[in-house]
Amino acid sequence: MAGKRIIIGDQEIRIPDKLIKLGVMPIVGIVLVVWLLTGVYSVGPDEVGVVQTFGKVSRVVQPGLSYHFPYPIEVVDTPKVTEVKRIEIGFRSVGKGQFRTIAKESNMLTGDENIVDAELIVQYKIKDPEAYLFNFVAPILTVREAAEASLRTVVGRHGIDEVLTSGKFVIQEETKELLQSILDKYNTGILVVAAQLQDVSPPKPVIGAFKDVASAKEDKNRMINQAEGYRNDIIPKARGEAQAMIREAEGFREARVMRAEGDVANFRAVLKEYRKSKAVTRTRLYLEAMENILPNVQKYIIPDGKNGNLLNLLNLGSTEKGSIK
Amino acid sequence: MKKVLIGFIIIIVIGIWTTVFTVNMTEQVVILQFGKPVRTVLDPGLHFKLPVPFQNAIFFDKRLLEYDVPPEEVLSKDKKTLIVDNYVRWRIYDPLLFLQTVQAIPTATTRLDDIVYSQLRQELGTHDMVEIISENRGLIMEKVTKKSQEATRPYGIEVVDVRIKRVDLPRENEESIYARMKAERNRQANKFRSEGAEEAQKIRASTDKDKTIILANAYKESEERRGEGEAEALEIYAKAFSADPDFYEFVRTLETYKKVLNEKTTLVLPSNSKLFELLLKGD
Repeated sequence: MAGKRIIIGDQEIRIPDKLIKLGVMPIVGIVLVVWLLTGVYSVGPDEVGVVQTFGKVSRVVQPGLSYHFPYPIEVVDTPKVTEVKRIEIGFRSVGKGQFRTIAKESNMLTGDENIVDAELIVQYKIKDPEAYLFNFVAPILTVREAAEASLRTVVGRHGIDEVLTSGKFVIQEETKELLQSILDKYNTGILVVAAQLQDVSPPKPVIGAFKDVASAKEDKNRMINQAEGYRNDIIPKARGEAQAMIREAEGFREARVMRAEGDVANFRAVLKEYRKSKAVTRTRLYLEAMENILPNVQKYIIPDGKNGNLLNLLNLGSTEKGSIK
Repeated sequence: MKKVLIGFIIIIVIGIWTTVFTVNMTEQVVILQFGKPVRTVLDPGLHFKLPVPFQNAIFFDKRLLEYDVPPEEVLSKDKKTLIVDNYVRWRIYDPLLFLQTVQAIPTATTRLDDIVYSQLRQELGTHDMVEIISENRGLIMEKVTKKSQEATRPYGIEVVDVRIKRVDLPRENEESIYARMKAERNRQANKFRSEGAEEAQKIRASTDKDKTIILANAYKESEERRGEGEAEALEIYAKAFSADPDFYEFVRTLETYKKVLNEKTTLVLPSNSKLFELLLKGD
C-alpha cells in the first residue's frame, strides 16, 4: 500500500508517496503564484483604475492591462468614467419604447398652486472617480432624490402655464443647475450632463379642460378665418360691381357726346343747304316731314269751316280744328 | 518540542494579524482598550494597535450617508395640511462621540428622524403654504438643516443636508385644486370663443361697411360721368344750334312731329291748310 489515504465523506483520495516526499513546498509555491497572478487586471477603454494600497489611494491607472499587488495589499476599483448614466423621474421605461408613468413621482405643485405631471430624464457621468467611489453611499438613490427635489423646487417657482409651454427650457436649465449644486455640495464627483423634461402635461382629472382650451383657441381662429373668408368674398364683388357702374357711366358719357356730335353734324349739313336757298329748303323739309308722318296717322280733312253737317256726322266732339303749321 | 514551536508560531501570526489593520478610504476607526476608547483613526492606510485581547478596532463609515424620512403631515402657518417627503444626508463626523451616544446607524437614524421631523414641523409652521411650495423652499431647508445640525452635533453626527423631495396636498385638497384648475380653464376657453365671435363680428361689420362705401363711391363717380356726358352734349348742341336758332327751331319741331305723331293719332286737317292748298285749288 503506497501512499496515504484520505477519506472525505465516501470519497477516497490516494496521495502518492512521491508527493509526500516533496513536502508542502510545491503547494505553497503554486498558491503563491496563483495569489500573485490575481493582481493582473485590465482597465476597459471607458474606465479608469483606482488602486488602493492598504486602503489608501496610491495611483490612478489609465485603460490597458495592469498589475497591482494582490489582496489584501492592494485592491483596484474600475469605475466607468465615460459612460453616461441615466435616471428617469416620473416614469420608467419598460421594454422597447414602452413607458409606465409613476404618478407619485410625476405629480407636483406649481408656484400658483396648480398640479402638473412632469417627467424628467437626468443624464450624468463621473467627473471625479475618487470622490465618486469614496465620498458617499448609494449613488443612484442620491442622484434620484436630489433630482426629484430639484425638479420640484424649480417647478414650484413657476406658474402652470410657464411649466406647460414657454418655460420648459428654463425649467430644464434651472433643474440641471440646482441638481449640480446639490451634488457638488455632497461632493459626489458627479457631473450632470443633461436634465431633460419629457412629457409635461396637466394631470389626468383636468386634461379634458386643458384640451378644451386648445380647441377654443382653434374655434377662435376658425371664426376669424370664416369672417375673413366672408370679407374676401364680399369686397372683390363689391369692387367689381363698382367698376361696372363706373364703366357703364363712362360709356354713357361717350355715347352721349358721340350722339350729340352726330346730331350736330346732321344739323350743320342741313343748315349749309338751307343757307344756300332758304325758302326752298324750308318747304322741302316741311313736305318731307309730312310725307313721313301723314301715312301713319288717321286723318280727317275738313273742307273749310263752313260745312257744319259733315262736322256733326263725323262726331268729332269739340275739336274743330287740327292745325299744322 | 516541534508542537510547541508550531503553537508559538500560530500565536505570533494571530498576534500580528490582530495588530495590523487596514483602514479603507470609506472608513474611520475607534480603538478601544478593554472597552474604553483610547483614540480614533481617520486616515486610510495601514495602522497598528495592540493585539486583540488588549485593543479592539471598531469601524465606522466615513462617507456621506443617506436617510429617507418617511412622508409626514405638517401644518403650515395658514393652517393647511401638507404631506412633506424629505430626505437627509448626514455623516459620522466624530466616531467616538457617535459610539458613546448612539452606537450604531439604526439608532442614529431614529434620532435623526425625531430631530429633523420636529425641526421641520417647527419651521414649516411659521410659513404659509405658498412660501413652502415656491418662494422660500431653499431658505426653509437651509434653516432646518442648520438647526438639525446643532441638534445632532452631540451625537457625533453632522447633518449635511435636509431637503424636501415632495410637498403634496392631502386627497381632499387635491380635488379642490382640480376643480379650481378646471374652472380656470373653462374661463379661458370661454374667453377665446367670445373673442373669436367678437373678432368675426368686427370683420363682418367692417366688410359690410366697406362694401356700402365702395358702392356709394361708384354711384357718385358714375353719376359724375353721366353729368359730364350730358354737359358736354349740351355744349355741343348749344354751340351748333346757336348758329341759326330760328332754323333749329323749325327742324327740331319737324323732328318732334315725327316722334309724337303715330298711328294712334287722329289728325283733323282743315282743307284750307297750307298743305292742301293745291288740293282744293284743283277743284
